[in-house]
This record gives sequence, C-alpha cells and structure tokens, in this order.
Amino acid sequence: VPDGVVITGLGTLGAPGAGHRLLAADLVAGRQRATRIEPTSESPAAAFASQVPALDLSRWVPVGPARRMSRPSRFAVAAGVMALESAGLEVGSGGPALAVSMASTFGPLSYTQRLLDQIRDEGPCAASPALFTECVVNAPVSQVSIVVGAGGPCTTISGREAGPLLATGRGCTDLAEGRASTALVGACDEVTALQFDVLSRLGALAQAGSDGVIEARPFDRRRRGFLLAEGATMLVLEGESLAERRGANPIARIRAWGSAFDPTATRAGWGRGSALLARELGDCLGRAGISRAEVGLIVSGASGARSGDWLEARTLHQAWRDLALPPVVAPKAVTGEYGGGFLAAAILALQGGIAIHPDFELDPEVGLCPRSLDQPPQGCVLVTSLASGGAASWIVLERP
Amino acid sequence: LTTPRHPIVGVTGIGAVSAFGWGIEPLWAGLSAGQTAIGDFDRFDHGEYSTHLAAQVPKRETPETTGRSTPRGTCLAERFALAATREALRMAGLGEDLSTARAGVFFSSSTGGMFEAEQYYLALRAGQRPDLRLIVTHTVAVPGDTVARHFRVTGPVETTSSACASGALAVESALDAVRRGDVAVAIAGGSDSLCRTTFGGFNALRAVAEDPCVPFRQQRTGLSLGEGAGVLVIEALDAARARGREPLAVLAGAGSSSDAHHMTAPDPLGHGAARAMEKALEDAGMDVAEVDFVNAHGTGTPLNDLAEWQAMSRVFGERASRLPLTSTKASIGHLLGSAGSIEAVATILCLWHRAVHPCAGPGETDPLTPVDLVRHQPRRLEDPCRALSLNLGFGGCNGALVLTGQSRGH
Repeated sequence: VPDGVVITGLGTLGAPGAGHRLLAADLVAGRQRATRIEPTSESPAAAFASQVPALDLSRWVPVGPARRMSRPSRFAVAAGVMALESAGLEVGSGGPALAVSMASTFGPLSYTQRLLDQIRDEGPCAASPALFTECVVNAPVSQVSIVVGAGGPCTTISGREAGPLLATGRGCTDLAEGRASTALVGACDEVTALQFDVLSRLGALAQAGSDGVIEARPFDRRRRGFLLAEGATMLVLEGESLAERRGANPIARIRAWGSAFDPTATRAGWGRGSALLARELGDCLGRAGISRAEVGLIVSGASGARSGDWLEARTLHQAWRDLALPPVVAPKAVTGEYGGGFLAAAILALQGGIAIHPDFELDPEVGLCPRSLDQPPQGCVLVTSLASGGAASWIVLERP
Repeated sequence: LTTPRHPIVGVTGIGAVSAFGWGIEPLWAGLSAGQTAIGDFDRFDHGEYSTHLAAQVPKRETPETTGRSTPRGTCLAERFALAATREALRMAGLGEDLSTARAGVFFSSSTGGMFEAEQYYLALRAGQRPDLRLIVTHTVAVPGDTVARHFRVTGPVETTSSACASGALAVESALDAVRRGDVAVAIAGGSDSLCRTTFGGFNALRAVAEDPCVPFRQQRTGLSLGEGAGVLVIEALDAARARGREPLAVLAGAGSSSDAHHMTAPDPLGHGAARAMEKALEDAGMDVAEVDFVNAHGTGTPLNDLAEWQAMSRVFGERASRLPLTSTKASIGHLLGSAGSIEAVATILCLWHRAVHPCAGPGETDPLTPVDLVRHQPRRLEDPCRALSLNLGFGGCNGALVLTGQSRGH
C-alpha cells in the first residue's frame, strides 16, 4: 500500500468476555479460563476448553438475524461490529469499499454435526435448510458482510493456525490492489465436544492439572499440547492517509506480511523445515526493509504443541543466526489455539502486559524462554504463526 | 490486455478431474459434444433423498493419475487435486519438485475431506472407534496443503473457502501473487468431492433438480452437484517465454465483490455480481465490447440464473442478449468450491479450441433470461478471443475472471 496500512479498530470475543480490555487483563495476569465442554453421547468424556461464556451480544448482533446464525457467525458479527465501532466507523455504511477477510479452521462444526444428525435420525427430507446455510465455512464472513453492509471482496481463508495472519495479509492485499479502502480482517472458530475428542485422540491437546488449569506451556520442557479455544477477533485495516484524513487513532501500523510453506510437515503435524522457514521469514523482513535488529519483540504462535513449538524456536534461532533473539512472548498459554484470541493478543502486545507461566522449565532442545512483557516494546513486533500441515505466516507491526 | 502497472500473466498448464474422467481430454470431449455426465451415482446411499442424480468422478484410479507416493488415507478431494495438479504441471513443462521454483499454491475447497469425515462421525455414532485418518482430512485446507507438500512448494500456500466463488477467488489470489512477484509459479485450483452434507443440504433447500440441471432454460428447477478438481499453472508471460513456454491463455484480470444481501439468495438485481465483472474487466483493461463469450455461473436454479441475467444486463447493456453464453455446470455439475477453477479450465479450453462449448441439456431459453445460450454445437470463435468466467456463491460472494486466448501461431 503506497502510504502504509494501519489498524484502526479491534474487536474481540473470547473466554474472558466481549472486548479487548478483558483479554488484556487476562494477559497481564497470565490468567487462563477453561470451562467444561458440554459432553455429547458421541464424546462423553470430561473435557475443558477456553469457551465463550453466555453473553448478551444484542448490542452488536441484530436480534432477528442472530436467531438464524451459528455461534461462530454470532462471534464474528459481534467482533466485526466492535472493531468498526472502535475505529469510529459507522456500521452498515461499508459499501463496495469495505472488504471482509476471515480465517476459520473448522467452520461452524456444530451445525454440520446437527445437520448430519438430522439426516441420519429423521431422514434427509427432514434436514433443516437453516442448518445447512450456516454449515458452510464462509457463513461467518458472509454474515459479517451482510450486517455491516460490506460490498467489497468477501473471503474466507483456511490456513489452520496460520489462518488469522493469512487473512490479515489478504486484507492488506485488498487495500494494496485498490479493491477496498477499508478491510475487516480476523478469525473465528467454535469449540465442540467432537472436535475436542478428535484432537485429544490425535494427542494435540494439553491436559488439565490438579488445579483444573489446562497446562498449555509454550516452549516449556513439559509441554504436551495446546489449549483449545473459541471466539472471534476482527481488526479494521485502512490506508494510513485515509485514516489520518478522517481523524482515526491507529492502534498499529502493519510494516510487512508474508507467508511460506514447510513441505516436510505431515497432514496433521509440523515438519522440520526450519531452515527454509527461516529463509522465507528473512526474505519477508528484507522485502519490507526491516533489519532483524529493528525487531524489538516476537509474539510467537507457539501453543504448547510438542513439535510445533520446536519448529518455531528452531526457525527463530536460524532466522536470527548470529544475533541475539529479541524478547519472545507466547500468549497462547492464555488465549489458547483457534478463535482469534492470538491475533488480538498480538495487537495488545504493542501496549505491553503479557505474563508467562510462573514455573517455566527450559527445554534444551528448544533453547528459548518466553518472557513476561511489562512495558510496551521498542521497535517492531514480529508476529509468527506456524501451522500444522505446513503453512506459515508472519506480520510485522509497529506503534504508529 | 493488462493494465500497465502489472506484468502480463499467462496460464501455462491446466489439469482437471471431472465426472467425464481423469484429465482434460475427457473433459473437453464431453463438453464440446454437449454431453452431460450428470447421472446416477453410488458415492453414498441416496435412496432416502428426494433427488438421485450427481456428476460423480469415475473410479478409474491408477498410480499414473494419483502418483505412486500418494499417502494412505488420502481423501477423495486430495486425490482429485493431486491428479489435476500433476497434469497441469506436466503441461507447463514443470517437474514434480518445485522446491527451487519460487512456487505458491492458491487453492479452494468447500468440502475438503467432508465425505471421509462423515464416515468417521457416522461410525462414532454407531458406537465404533473409527480410524483417525478419516477425520484428519476434514478441514478445507487439506487438498491445497497436500498439493503443496507433494510437489514440495515452499512459498505462500492458502486455501480460500468462499462457497461457490472460492475457485475464482483463489485464481485471483494467485494472479496477485504472480503480479507482485511473490511467486514465479502459482498453482491455482480447487478440489471437492460429493458428500452427504452438501447433497442433503441442497436438497433441504429444494435447490437440486430431479433431472440434470438445465441452466437458463425455461423448465429449469435447480442445480446438479458434481465433484472433481481443476488446476491452472500461472506464470508471468515473460518468465514462461524465457523458459520456452507459450501460454495457453492470458489471465488478464480478476474481480470480486459481495452482495451483502442474503445468505442463500443472490441479490435479485445483480448489483454485486455486476460489480465483480466490472472490476475484472477494469483490472484487465478491457472494454465490455471486447468480451466474446461468458462462461456463466449458471447453476440452473431459478433465482441464480435470473440474478445473473440481471447482472449481465447491467454490465453488457443490450449486448447481454447477443453475447454467447454457456454453463459448464450443465455437463459436470456444480463443483461448489472448485467450480471456479474447473470452469476457468473449461473457459481456457474454449479459448484454445476457438469454440465455446455448448450448454448441455434440452429446452428453450427462458424468456426472462434471454441470453444467447450456446446449444447443441460448439460456437466458433475468431482471433483474438476473450472470455469472462463468473462465479457466485452462498453468502453473496462473487468472483469473475477475464481470460484471453493466444493467437493460433502459438
């Protein structure tokens, strides 16, 4: 974008509740919120995840349409409206110049499950059309477009854990190519018992400790998996001069975005292609004219996944080679994986205030110790996400 | 043919898997003959559903079509994607190891491994402990990621899932990446398989025809579902020529928009779809008068075709009723998230063969959608020929591509 892209609005909805202040408070306290998932006959085991509590979303989601929306759609609409309001933009006035780009890894799973149950139990002729229309992966982004009146490009990206940053990159591209002057970008997902059951069988999830806290420990020697999460986060992106003209208060400037792929990854796991990912990350910084010394903080997508965190650490070490790594924070210990909480935490990191697990144990194979962040970082902030399956994405932020 | 700020981008390889068979040869043979591959199918028991037709890919899988190293547990959509990509890369004269090619994958899918995930869920419901391999392919990113892993791609890899416009949007994203120089080679495509969820869902919407779909015909009653994959290899024209390859077609422009109207019904006035077409033409630096034919979304549902006609009238004015128009879906069904990619492949085949394939099926054109529907026989095209391929999706997502043929000298 000729004059740069700035983030002027942030809306987020997750286990702490609605709004970024609640999430920020949890990040400062290092407080994680996991609640019991409602078991089903197919997945009866006790399971905990970072779930959105019962909230009155009517301030952001029109009551009538909300009745026909899946939970991820409601999350996305609420976060999108919140983001526009925080940017000082009028909801519903988007028009063709407003693009929407969102990531979802699993889509509205519960509706798909209910539709299949209906087909099986009552016969295909009894299947509800309302369930089907909300089964499609792009239902949340389309509901956002409809509610906010966005007539520009409307895209759903699936890049698993890298999805939120890929969607942010897509929004930047829409602005750069002149397809939109404003972009709403973000991510949403929901948690279901079936999804928990599958991820648990795959050995992907962290277990609950004796105190009931899910022990997601990014980079820690004892890490065994991640905390499953749900929710939505949306950002408002604008060209910097447009934001300035209308008197907006940018939260952050996006200096660079990039993505790559590790073909050594397995379908459901991470690979060992740290050298090529480090090279691609270096190229991403280089194309934007950012030296490694300028990076004052890394907001890592490490989640507690055994091989994922190893790959993340190796990639960062190789990208920085002879230079000492800047401080690294790993907010997924608080936000969990999926649902967009990480994207919101990355933006909030610009203000400082992310705590780590108090009894961190260094893993010699990882060689990386995340830090608590008390003060706003100096320089640029690199946000990284390496996904199971091979995708990788980065964005670089700075305070405006 | 492109705006001066961008390098010209060509399509140097195409691949397809469709209900006509594995490869572009059976696809073109069926399309150009005006046949339909929509018929009875046995992917799953559809006895209790209200309709019983679909365009299923024939079971003629060989190591040649999917590759000897295809991993166990590969879902149908992955197999389709791998076969179509291999064909497209061969045509482009590229090997199977793209690790040094600065390549990226821009894929689309609506269902990913949903068919296999359904088997997992139904087994779980029956009290069994199903094989996890059935569910790990569930996400829609799986076909694109698998293509990237298999062909050792190290550049950007992303999957777009914007319903039935996904394929066109993935090609748009690939075009962006090549123009910006992010990648030298872009694999753009999509892959989807038939599954109970979409078949049951579209039946619940009463959107599926009892007979093979007949887009833009007066007696049309709905769509027919299909499965398969379409893949395009996209490169900067200069780079392709530097390695001795002439493109099959030029990918001149792309445009996208949202109706912001309704989750399932298109904007009846076609504003959003018109905007996508106008953006694509503007991106291509092309005047509406230069378009020689349109490969319409043409699902065959009463509402879609009517809205599409309205959109075409907005863009092309009175010429809308004289502009040759076809719909690939009448032959191979609606491939949902990969419709845009395989229809781009079909459009390129039309440009290459200088003939618009007929829109299969019987019946007279609906007076309410008075398009110049290509019927029975292919319609000849003169050099230079230019086409617009349009896709409209659930939730009001729209994508349009502008493709131009290369002169016969090549």
